[in-house]
Amino acid sequence: MVRLPPLPLALKVPLTVALLMGIVGIFASQLVVQALVRSQERQLRELAQLEFEGLEATLGPLVLRDDVWEMFSLLDRVTRRGTGLRPIRATLVDPGARVVVSSAPDRAPLGSSGQALIAESVPVDRLSYERATDLVALRRVQTFEGQPLGQMVIEFDARALVAERRNAAWLLVLGNAAATLILAVAGYLVVRRALRPVSRLAAQMADASGAPQPIDEAAIPEGESEVARLYRTYNRMVRAVEERNAAERRLADRERFVSLGRLAGTLAHEINNPLGGLLNAVDTLRAYPERPAVVAGSAELLDRGLRHLRDVVRATLDTHRDPRGAAPLGLTDFEDLRMLIRPEVARQGQRLDWQVAAPEDCLARLPAGPVRQIALNLLLNASAAAGPGGRLGLSVRATDEALDLRIRDSGPGLPDSLRPRLLSDDPVEPGGGVGLRLVRDLVRSLGGQVSVGQSPEGLNEIRLILPCIGEGCRC
Amino acid sequence: MAGAATPTRRQMMAGLGAVGLIRPRAALAGPVGRAFRLGLTPVFLDHDWHLLDLIRAHVSEATGRPVEFVKRRTYKEITALLVIGEIDAAWLCGYPLLQHRDRLSALAVPLWRGAPRYQSYLIAAADRPATRLEDLRGDIHAFSDPDSNSGYLVTVSDLIGMGERPEAFFARSFFTFGHRNVVEAVARRLAASGSVDGYVWEALAVSDTDLVAATRVVRRSDWFGFPPFVIRSESAADAVLRDFAKALFSMPQSAKGREALALLQLDGFIPPPPGAFDAIAARMDLLAGRG
Repeated sequence: MVRLPPLPLALKVPLTVALLMGIVGIFASQLVVQALVRSQERQLRELAQLEFEGLEATLGPLVLRDDVWEMFSLLDRVTRRGTGLRPIRATLVDPGARVVVSSAPDRAPLGSSGQALIAESVPVDRLSYERATDLVALRRVQTFEGQPLGQMVIEFDARALVAERRNAAWLLVLGNAAATLILAVAGYLVVRRALRPVSRLAAQMADASGAPQPIDEAAIPEGESEVARLYRTYNRMVRAVEERNAAERRLADRERFVSLGRLAGTLAHEINNPLGGLLNAVDTLRAYPERPAVVAGSAELLDRGLRHLRDVVRATLDTHRDPRGAAPLGLTDFEDLRMLIRPEVARQGQRLDWQVAAPEDCLARLPAGPVRQIALNLLLNASAAAGPGGRLGLSVRATDEALDLRIRDSGPGLPDSLRPRLLSDDPVEPGGGVGLRLVRDLVRSLGGQVSVGQSPEGLNEIRLILPCIGEGCRC
Repeated sequence: MAGAATPTRRQMMAGLGAVGLIRPRAALAGPVGRAFRLGLTPVFLDHDWHLLDLIRAHVSEATGRPVEFVKRRTYKEITALLVIGEIDAAWLCGYPLLQHRDRLSALAVPLWRGAPRYQSYLIAAADRPATRLEDLRGDIHAFSDPDSNSGYLVTVSDLIGMGERPEAFFARSFFTFGHRNVVEAVARRLAASGSVDGYVWEALAVSDTDLVAATRVVRRSDWFGFPPFVIRSESAADAVLRDFAKALFSMPQSAKGREALALLQLDGFIPPPPGAFDAIAARMDLLAGRG
């Protein structure tokens, strides 16, 4: 079923008013037409009674004298006068159902059967005015000086009544339509005026910039009207939202710094470790410059140490230079991650399980920067949670259309207070974060999903499903 | 004779006046003298006020008296008024004249199409193929007046002549008390057939074409003396009646008279020829002979 777009309130209200007016109009019109029909019935009944009584008085002596011509002449005069609601045919039928006289002898000849006429007419005192007919046949028993003359059947031309009713119905329809239209237009104007503040609010909320805009102070009416209060409340809300957004941005930046700080610690350790050996090699070079074997050995040591330092610095730079960079993910990225986490793992005497079982072309469908940040943050968290001598691990494997990335640790599990940061978009309070909201934001930016669970070995596990990007995406 | 009648007439008038049937004579008398009272019935063309005005003006001018028309529905009523002297003259059919031939006489007879005679017509609806009286058996039949020659006597006497019983020949009959009404009754099919004055039917054929077109003549009768102006025999010598007769005979000589004759579609008036109503008398004998 096709659903129509919802109507604006400025149209909905007047249309509802018009609909209600229409219903009321139809109901009122029915009442008016019924009243008119009753009035016409009464009019017809009264007219008919007058005709019957008049004819009874004048026809009586003629019937007793059997004066056919005078009877005919009388009925003829009665049925030929005037226009509008009037008798057009009159026939007297005797008690034996024979026609005594008729104003239309061609239809009801003298002495013919009047049974059909009687059957097709209704007694005047039981008049029920049939709406659609142009002709109403009424009958009444006529007596004269206590003697029954028979039944007089008078057919009335009711076209005038029908026309009157039709005119009234048309007037009602036109009047109601005009009233409904006027009220609908008036309702539209009134409601549009009444809803102007709401329309303005809607426009301010759906500004082209995408963010709700405050209403200009000059546009707020003076005083304490409802509209003024509404505008001011709206402006306060807009400012509150702006402040909250700013706070969230600051929080995100802070989290970035937090993760950076934590990485800096590991980096210092990583750099510090070879520094002693390197300085020793420098001392050896200074002490034995004349011994080529020692010089060559020290130079080799220095070369290895400096290369290691260079790799560490490059990995760090690659991780933090452009988190949304377009460089594709590769196996080397996971090697870098392993190198970056290893000092921390070694420091705490932890066991690291590392399984990267995804083909290079599958990995390349994801950007390197965000994935490295996500994995590094979660690995650092896992290391911290596992504690000294604990276990942590990373497994990467490709499914049909996504990369399944899991980080495990043997720690106590993610506290309930931190779960919303990773699993929901609810606003978070500043402080206490360990980069979880940053992880969530990055995962969402990649169109992925985060879930928390347990590995088959009973370790805490954070699972990330990152859909691969691009055409023919199939790992 | 006139002198002997006067007390009787006054007595009868007093009696009728007492029961409100007539209006006081003084109110009707003009400045010149007592009004001349002329009786008419709807059997003839009496519904044209202009015609009556013309006749009134012509007669009034000729007699020097105001003219008052007295109208009744039937021949019988007018004949009674004439017999008792309530009216001075009446335009009647030859049949009531002969019924009261001992007291009434014809004063003048109209000339229609050059002769003082007319016919009775049997008429039926225009789409009916009847050609003889026999074809009308079982009809609802309209007569004009039981004292009308053309509107009753001719048809009834014909039936008697055919050996029929008039009351059984037609399924039903009724009187319309007007020749025009007979034509209308047949045209409107209140009656299937009718007996009508041929002169009236012909006159209506000119003035009321649509009405007459709905009927057709089934049969025309023999010729009869045209309905005359009738007076009481005893007052034949009255000056006013002589003046009235002159007025009738001189109608073609006055403008109003000519206009009235034109409307009546008559040529003029003449003194009644001898034996003018013998044919009607013969019909009366047939009826009387039936007993």
